[in-house]
Amino acid sequence: MKKSRASRVFSSAYLILILLFIYLPIGYLVLFSFNEGKSMTNFSGFSLKWYESMFQNRTMIESITTTLIVAVIATVVSTVVGTVAAIGLSKAKRIIRSIVMEVNNLPVMNPDIVTAIGLMLLFISVKFQLGMVTLILSHISFCIPYVILTVMPKLRQLDDNVAEAALDLGATPFKALTKVIIPQILPAIISGALIAFSMSLDDFVVSYFNTGAGINTISMYVYSMKRYNLSVNAMSTLIVAAVTLILILVNLIPWIKDKKTKKEEP
Amino acid sequence: MKSFFRMSYPYILWIAIFIVAPMFMILLYAVTRSGNDTLTFTFTLDNFARFFSDPDFIRVLLNSLRIALFTTIFCLLIGYPAALLIANLSDRAQTMMLMLLTLPMWINMLLKTYAWRGILLSTDFGSEFKVFIGMVYDFLPFMIIQIHTAIAKLDPNLLVAAYDLGANKWKSFLKVTLPLSVPGIISGITLVFLPAVSSFVIPKMLGGGDYVLIGNLIEIYFQQTGDWNFGSAISLIMALIIILAMWATKKLDRSAQED
Amino acid sequence: MTKKMTAVLLLICLALLPVCSLADGTLNVMNYGEYIDEKVIYDFEKEFGVRINYTFNDTPESMYTKLQTGVSYDVVVTSDYMIDRLIKENNVQKMDKSVVTNLDQLSDSVKNLYFDPDNDYSAPYLWQNVVLCYDTTKIDPTKVEEKGWSILLDPELEGHVFLYDSPRDIFMIGLKALGYSMNTESRDELMEAYDWLVKMNQTIHPSFVTDEMIDGMAQGEKWMAMMYSGDATYASMENEKLAVWAPLDGTNIAYDNMFIPANATNPELANQFINYVLDYPNSMLITVETCYTSPNEKVIEDVTGPGGEFEGIESYVPRTGYEKDEIYTDNELLRTETPELLVKVKLQ
Repeated sequence: MKKSRASRVFSSAYLILILLFIYLPIGYLVLFSFNEGKSMTNFSGFSLKWYESMFQNRTMIESITTTLIVAVIATVVSTVVGTVAAIGLSKAKRIIRSIVMEVNNLPVMNPDIVTAIGLMLLFISVKFQLGMVTLILSHISFCIPYVILTVMPKLRQLDDNVAEAALDLGATPFKALTKVIIPQILPAIISGALIAFSMSLDDFVVSYFNTGAGINTISMYVYSMKRYNLSVNAMSTLIVAAVTLILILVNLIPWIKDKKTKKEEP
Repeated sequence: MKSFFRMSYPYILWIAIFIVAPMFMILLYAVTRSGNDTLTFTFTLDNFARFFSDPDFIRVLLNSLRIALFTTIFCLLIGYPAALLIANLSDRAQTMMLMLLTLPMWINMLLKTYAWRGILLSTDFGSEFKVFIGMVYDFLPFMIIQIHTAIAKLDPNLLVAAYDLGANKWKSFLKVTLPLSVPGIISGITLVFLPAVSSFVIPKMLGGGDYVLIGNLIEIYFQQTGDWNFGSAISLIMALIIILAMWATKKLDRSAQED
Repeated sequence: MTKKMTAVLLLICLALLPVCSLADGTLNVMNYGEYIDEKVIYDFEKEFGVRINYTFNDTPESMYTKLQTGVSYDVVVTSDYMIDRLIKENNVQKMDKSVVTNLDQLSDSVKNLYFDPDNDYSAPYLWQNVVLCYDTTKIDPTKVEEKGWSILLDPELEGHVFLYDSPRDIFMIGLKALGYSMNTESRDELMEAYDWLVKMNQTIHPSFVTDEMIDGMAQGEKWMAMMYSGDATYASMENEKLAVWAPLDGTNIAYDNMFIPANATNPELANQFINYVLDYPNSMLITVETCYTSPNEKVIEDVTGPGGEFEGIESYVPRTGYEKDEIYTDNELLRTETPELLVKVKLQ
C-alpha cells in the first residue's frame, strides 16, 4: 500500500488547509491582541497595552476565575458521581439500566437551550435563588451524562471474574472497587473528566439562564460586550497559550516516562 | 458484586431532580396558559396550535432544519476525506493531528465566534452564509474525530485481503472502508446536526438579527415578551423533533450494521 | 458503601455553600454591558470599604426576566418604560432622599419624568435619543433632513443600512414615519406600522444588528445607521465623515435610570451608591467612557464647553422640548406584540 508522491502532497495540502481553517480565528484573535489601535480589522502597530488593560479589568479577570472555579468543581463532582453511578448501573438489572441510560441521554440529545430553560424553571419554581450554586449545579447536571457515557462502555468490557476473585480472596467491596475496578477503567474516567471539563468551559447558554448577581463567565462577558475590546483578544491569547502548554505537558509526560523506562532496562 | 448496584441510587435521585423535573416543568408551562401560578393552572393546547398554524413560525423551523442540514452535509464532505487522510498518517503524526484538532475545542465557542465576527466584518457575505461558516467551523472537528475513530478501528488486514482479491483502491474503499465507517459517520452527523438545529448564539453573533432560527425564537419568548408558556411549547416541539431524528438515525445505524 | 458515597456527596454540596453566602458588605449592581467606567466601582469600594458584585445584561427585558427569577439586586440601571412597569408592579422601593442629595446637581431635562414625577423611586444615570447617523460622502444631508425616517424607503440605500435590533425601537420608526405616537395602543396603527416596516425591509434589506453597528459605522462599513445618540457620538468622533440627525417626524428620548428593587438586601448602601454615581466627578468619568449623555448639569456644560471632551459634537446633548419627541411608556400591546412582529418583518 505504498502511496505515490502526488497523493502524499495532496494529503498534506488538504490537512494543512483544514488546520488553517481551524486556526484562522485563533490566529486572528492572537494577532489583534497586539494591535496598537482599537480596531479589529486594521492592524496599526505592535503594542502590549491590551494585556495591561486586561489585568486592570476586574470584571474580566473575575469572569475567568468564575469560569475556572465552575469548571473544576463541575468536573470533579460529575466525574465522581458519574463514575460511581456507572459502576452501580453496570451491575443493575438490565431493565433499570436501560431506562436510566435513556433518561441519562436526554441532556446529551436535548438542545442546550432546552436544558437551560428547564433548569431555570425548576430553580425558580422551588424559589432557589439563582447564583453560584445554581450555576454549578446546572453545569454538573449537563456534565454527568457525558462521564457516564464515556465510562459505561469500558465497564461493560471488564471481566467480572477478576472483581469476584478479589472478593472471594477476602477483599472488602471497597477494596475490590478501588484496587480492581477503578484502575482498569481509569483511562475512561480521565477522558470522561476531560470531556466534562471542556463542556463546562465551552458552555454559554446554560450559564446565561442559570446565573445570578455578580457571577459572570467568560462567555457571558463576551456576549454582553458593546464594542470590540481587544482586551478580550489578550485574554483569548493567554487562554490559547495555557491550553497549548497543558496539552504539550500532558502529551510529553508519558513520552518522558517511556524514555526513562527504556533507559533503565537496556 | 450485586451490592454495587446500590451505588447508582444517588444518581437515580439526581436524574429525577435535574433531568426529569426540568423536562416536566417545560411540559407544564407548554400546556398551560400564561399568568397562572404554580397552584392554579388550566390545561390548553393553544400554544402548540399557535405555533403550527402560523406559516412564519414554520418557516423559522424549516430555516433551522435547512441550515443544520447544509452544515452537516458540508462537514461530512470536508470531514470524511480529512479523517481518512489522518488515519493513513504515521502513528505519531496521527496523535499530533488529533491534538491540533482538539486544541481549539478547549477555547470558548463565544471567543471563536467573536473572532469570526471580526474576520467577516468587512466581507460582503449575507447573514445566512456567515452563520453557515460559523456553524461549519464550530462543528467540523467533531465530525472529523468521530469518523477518524471509526476508521482507526478498522482492521488493516481487511484492506490487504481486498487488495489480494484484486480490488483496486477505489473499490476497496467503497466495499470495505466506507461501510465499516458508517457508525462514525452517524455519530458525527448527530454531533453536528443536533446542536446546529438549536444553536442560538452563532446566528445571533454572526447573522445579526436578520437571521432568526428556532433557538432565537425561544430566547425571544423567554427574554423579550416574557411569554414563557409559548417559549416552553417551542422548546418542547424542538426537543421532540430532535429526539425523533435521533431515534431515526439509531434505526438507520442498526440496519446499516445488519447489512 | 452507599452511605460513604452519600456522605461524600453531601460534603461536596456543603463545600459549595459558602461560595454563595458572601452577604454582608457587598452591593449587587446590575447594568448594561460596558456602560460604566470601572474606576467608579473601584473608587466606591475603597471609599466605603465594601465590595461590588457587578452583573451585566443586554436588554431591559432580559433584566426584567432576571428580576422575575427572584435574584436580589441592590441597584439596577434600566430604561424608562421598564422602570414604569416595575414601579406599577410594586417591584421598586423608594430612595432615601436624605442620602441621595446629589439629585440637586441634575439637569432639569432629566428630572421628574412621567414614570417617577418626583424622583422618589429612581435617579437618572445616562440619557440619549434615537438618531440617524450617516456618511455625508454617500448621502446628501439635505435629503436626510427633508425625508426623516422615510429615507429608509429609498431604494438607493439598499444593503447600506444598520438598524438597531430592538422591537420597540424598530416599531418606533414605523409609527413615527406614519405620524402616530410610538406609544400607540391601537392595533390598527401598529399593523399599519408593520406594513410600513415590511415595505422598508423589502426595499433596503437593512442589517438588524445591535452593538456591532458602533464599530461598523466608525469603520465606514455602511452608509447609514439608526443609532442611540451616545453610540453616534462615539462613531462620529472616530469617523469624521459621519453626521447625525434626529428626524423631525419625532423620535424616542430614552432615559436610563438607577433604582433599588423591592427585594434589595442592602438598600442603605444602594442609596449611597446612587448618590455617589450622580456626583460630578463620577458622572464625568461615566459619560467620557461611554459617550452617552450625563444627567449632571455641570458635567454637560463642561464636556461640551471649550476644551471639553465633546466640544462641537452636536449629538452629545439630545434634543429636548420638541413636541413630536416622546418617551416610551410601558404598554401591553407593544410589549407583547412587537417582538413577534419584528421576527415576521425580517421573514418577509
